[in-house]
Amino acid sequence: MKVFIINGPNLNLLGTREPAIYGTKTLEEVAEECQAIGAEVGIDIQFRQSNFEGQLVEWIQEAIGTADAIVINAAAYTHTSVAIHDALKSYDGLKIELHISHPHLRESFRHTSYVSPVVDAVVAGLGTNGYIHVVEMLPNLLSKT
Amino acid sequence: MVNKTILILNGPGLAELSAGDDRYGGVTLEQIQDECTALCAELGMKLEFRQTDDQDEMFRWIASDSEHFDALIINPAGYPKSGTANSELFRSAVDMIADTNKPLIEVHLTNIFRQGGERSKPLPGTDGQMGFVCGLGLKSYLLGIKAIAKRLHS
Repeated sequence: MKVFIINGPNLNLLGTREPAIYGTKTLEEVAEECQAIGAEVGIDIQFRQSNFEGQLVEWIQEAIGTADAIVINAAAYTHTSVAIHDALKSYDGLKIELHISHPHLRESFRHTSYVSPVVDAVVAGLGTNGYIHVVEMLPNLLSKT
Repeated sequence: MVNKTILILNGPGLAELSAGDDRYGGVTLEQIQDECTALCAELGMKLEFRQTDDQDEMFRWIASDSEHFDALIINPAGYPKSGTANSELFRSAVDMIADTNKPLIEVHLTNIFRQGGERSKPLPGTDGQMGFVCGLGLKSYLLGIKAIAKRLHS
């Protein structure tokens, strides 16, 4: 099985950017943990990050027909991107929206998500551990969908 | 880890979940309770699992009973959408938990942001003090329990 974990803008700065909100772990460390758990349970984790909206759209399109699930932290594009909304709509597999913080408890401009209405599930506010918990649960989620 | 106890509170209507209702994953509250109890046991934790349709009772549980527990999971069902006063009451109750630094996670069976879903709103609160999981069916609860176990461990 193959799962894309797609990360949006500024997540490459994880660990140094506003650590009080996002934690001290780097994205590389999170990716390694996810891949290690994936290897244990037989899931190929494709962990990616881009600051470019179009690149995120292309990865979602690439997932069509090739990936069993998409886990997406679209970061700031969550609140602006109709393009990501539309791309996700075209993907039929399991879709999980992930956020390190809890956007609904932050500034009001983060309260609207173009991602939430077109995914199956939303996980937020669990810190970078959110990635770990979602990956741990993937075999269970994919076996029944 | 042993002797940690999680309190799970379920809001209005959740006692009426039925196996035949696919909107909510076709699970009953008893099934949810059984799976949560099993996972907690596996993780060396105890579980208190409650449901109420009565809003005052819900606030009482959050505001006073929660002091006897190490972590809290709330499925508020449709509460937060039903008015501002309500929302403020929730906010004060939730802030009280947050002040004690106990893990607190809101869960929903369905994706509440999806059209045709519960059309609820997330509980109010302060970022960094509350987790949120929706749309995984009864696995929303299981993910919440795992997240709490990890936090209480570290």
